[in-house]
Amino acid sequence: MAEKFVSMRNLKFLLYEMFEAESLTRYPYFQEHSREIFDLVLDTGMRLGKELLFPCFSEMDKKPPEFVNGEVKVHPLVKVIMRECGEGGWIGAQAAYEHGGQQMPNLIMSAFRCIFSAANYSAAVYPFLTTGAAFLILSFGSKELIETYVPKMFAGEWQGTMALTEPQAGSSLTDLTTTAYPTDQGYYKIKGQKIFISAAEHDGGANVVNLLLARIQGAPAGVKGISLFVAPKLRPEGGKLVPNDLQCAGIYHKLGYRGSPITQLALGENNDCRGFLVGQPHQGLKYMFQMMNEARIDVGLGAVAIASAAYYASLQYAQERPQGRKVTSKDPTQPQVPIIEHADIKRMLLFQRAVVEGSLSLIFQCAKWVDLAHVLSGDEKDRYELLLDILTPVAKSYPSEMGILSVSAGLQCLGGYGYCEEFPLEQHWRDARIHPIHEGTTGIQGMDLLGRKVVMKDGRAFMLYLEEAGKTIQEAKGLRELAPFAQALAEALDKLKRVTGHLTGIALKGEIELFLADATLYLEMFGIVAIAWQWLAQAVVAQKALAKNPAEADANFYQGKLFTCRYFFGYELPKIEGLAARLLTGDGLTVAMKQEFFQD
Amino acid sequence: MKIVVCLKQTPDTEATIKLTADKQGIEEQNIKWVMNPYDEYAVEQALRLKEKHGGETVVVCMGPDRVTEAMRTALAMGMDKGVHLKDDAFAHSDATGTAKALAAAIKPLSPDLILCGRQAIDWDMAQVPAILAELLDMPQVTVVAKMEMGADGKSAVCNRRIEGGEEVVEVKFPAVLTCDKGLNEPRYASLPGIMKAKKKEIKPLGLAESGLSANDVGKASSKVQILEYLPLPERPPGKVFKEQETPDMVKQVVKLLREEAKII
Ligand SMILES: Cc1cc2nc3c(=O)[nH]c(=O)nc-3n(C[C@H](O)[C@H](O)[C@H](O)COP(=O)(O)OP(=O)(O)OC[C@H]3O[C@@H](n4cnc5c(N)ncnc54)[C@H](O)[C@@H]3O)c2cc1C
Repeated sequence: MAEKFVSMRNLKFLLYEMFEAESLTRYPYFQEHSREIFDLVLDTGMRLGKELLFPCFSEMDKKPPEFVNGEVKVHPLVKVIMRECGEGGWIGAQAAYEHGGQQMPNLIMSAFRCIFSAANYSAAVYPFLTTGAAFLILSFGSKELIETYVPKMFAGEWQGTMALTEPQAGSSLTDLTTTAYPTDQGYYKIKGQKIFISAAEHDGGANVVNLLLARIQGAPAGVKGISLFVAPKLRPEGGKLVPNDLQCAGIYHKLGYRGSPITQLALGENNDCRGFLVGQPHQGLKYMFQMMNEARIDVGLGAVAIASAAYYASLQYAQERPQGRKVTSKDPTQPQVPIIEHADIKRMLLFQRAVVEGSLSLIFQCAKWVDLAHVLSGDEKDRYELLLDILTPVAKSYPSEMGILSVSAGLQCLGGYGYCEEFPLEQHWRDARIHPIHEGTTGIQGMDLLGRKVVMKDGRAFMLYLEEAGKTIQEAKGLRELAPFAQALAEALDKLKRVTGHLTGIALKGEIELFLADATLYLEMFGIVAIAWQWLAQAVVAQKALAKNPAEADANFYQGKLFTCRYFFGYELPKIEGLAARLLTGDGLTVAMKQEFFQD
Repeated sequence: MKIVVCLKQTPDTEATIKLTADKQGIEEQNIKWVMNPYDEYAVEQALRLKEKHGGETVVVCMGPDRVTEAMRTALAMGMDKGVHLKDDAFAHSDATGTAKALAAAIKPLSPDLILCGRQAIDWDMAQVPAILAELLDMPQVTVVAKMEMGADGKSAVCNRRIEGGEEVVEVKFPAVLTCDKGLNEPRYASLPGIMKAKKKEIKPLGLAESGLSANDVGKASSKVQILEYLPLPERPPGKVFKEQETPDMVKQVVKLLREEAKII
């Protein structure tokens, strides 16, 4: 089996050459850090990935979790991973020193998570889901909640989860019905049902801490009546852990990402499920959404990571598999050539590299803005938060949707073997399929981008984005080799502006359904342009580095970057033409189509 | 107790090694350097002994600036401090020169125990620990796969792997032990460990401070002369026998093994 799942060279290119991770250490919050520390962190992540996670990649898929007598048995690796990540300090790495963290930049930890997810996506979910849940408590919970739960979660002893979805409330969280009944004991009694909750029951940890959305009895209808609770599987009581009337009713058998269970939860069947309010009543969704940017960017990261593993597996195969001859030499007495010599295979490899490294670049850009927004204040903070607002749906959806196509291209490189279990591609392909679904479907992201983010604050976030891309264009214009690409990106942005203007015009006329009907296509177009921007930015760095006559291996790496940038501008960016044509038509075809017309 | 670990930085086992054009060395720029894998067992053993019996752990390493990366990894795993033998004069030392330099750095520390890896995975010679033990006048036990501290805290019972079995020996401290796979499961560096490692001392030790002279170490002292580096010969293509009766093919193979390959 292929051994490489992620490129350390590329991670370091992005972290240090593109995004200048060391510059973060200028800020007091990160001042204890240095390049040396970052390198050790990445090295350790790579070792854990290679030695612990990767060897169980296929086994966790073939032996998925089992539901036995109300309990979920998971692969033994889960316990090991949680312990290593807890003892190693990786779950709470980004937290402040006073909360037991090490104030690691999100940018560096994004690379760490990328390594884990590429090695074994299912296994990576357990520790980092715990990180997200613990941060919710840290950000909005009382001192008591923090002290009770966060240290155990950071130590990897207790699993954290996000419990939002209900059977009737998936995309539409407004329709949540799980109810919290106030008591005079300082807690609420929870009653209801949750479904699809990742890792909410398993034997890889001693307890589970669910960050759960519910409606306080009598709360206003809609999203304004939703509150956030901690609802643990076992609750601390009198120095002991006692069951909290939170039953796992079953697990779902899924297409991929099989090493991690998604559970159905019955809460308060015996009227004894206690929930502890996090923050203020009715603010739950707001709190969730404050964490959502990062959670959604991380979904994009998971998608890139899987596509990265698939890319390296197919790259290795393409170098080793002899098949056919060059079209110019059909002499059957000559040996066959490795398939990587065929232009069509190179196209599929370039496509994968373009998706993987372009997406990762956008995600790291966002990760750095998360860090900057964290340490800055005032206008500067606002700026980065707005940029994150507008690019989050893109950083979530482009990698998720294109990741599937990228893995599919990887699978195609292996021909029939790609379709067989003996090679990892079929699993990557199944694993990748989750990402456009969870943490808000692509459809929901499209409406979020066009209906909310693009128009918010009179289009200010959109303006800031254009400004950022404009800076890259200016830089690229100064390099002879890249000037044509700078021009192409400028034109693409103009087209995006035109389409945006056209669509918001429809909104101004009050035709909201028409305005949002093709929001997913708008998101697709926006995504392609954003990745073109990231490729141009990478090309600028690569071009400058090449000018310094680096050693052979580096020169090849930078040439590869330039070729992939050219690939993106030549093969992917033109796709916006078709999308723009469709979006500018705005004839409302899908709005007009009737349910009855589907009858046949 | 005071424990010294001798550490070497080697190319990663997965690194592709390319020779320089003049065949006088390997191209170092694009190699990933790591702590010699066998030395990880030595570091882990030192940490476990310290956790149980207290004391101090020191990592000693000779080499150019880059070796501090491997030293930091050892410090991030939990070693207390480092001594870095760093001087152009040390370059191109053979095993004897290296052992002399290490001995000079270690002697003033008066350790109870010196732990090394069983061999470095680049040259695979396993010479340095033996010469070091000789120079420091200490007993040595090689390829240790199990170690129990004696009740007196001044000796240990070691199981060493030998062909066909294990040999159990008792050794009095101070001693030099070389650690083998199976002795323990080396830990991963932790994030708090990485953060602390930054503040731990790595003391540079040049030729002058070591008390050695330029004739003791480096190329000048080296009894081993490297004339040229050669890449591994390409494996000759195999011969495939097919479409014949099996006994006939076996006969041909045996004949070739005897006459051409000369291995039977
Ligand atoms: C493997 C896995 C893990 C999960 N983990 C968790 C978890 O840990 N915690 C948790 O709370 N949830 C989790 N989920 C649930 C997940 O977030 C939901 O499945 C997702 O939000 C979609 O909700 P739904 O399944 O109800 O689909 P629906 O909301 O019914 O959507 C069905 C389709 O309709 C579209 N649609 C819905 N509403 C609209 C609209 N207004 N306009 C246009 N199109 C619309 C959607 O885009 C989608 O294509 C997980 C799901 C899976 C499969």
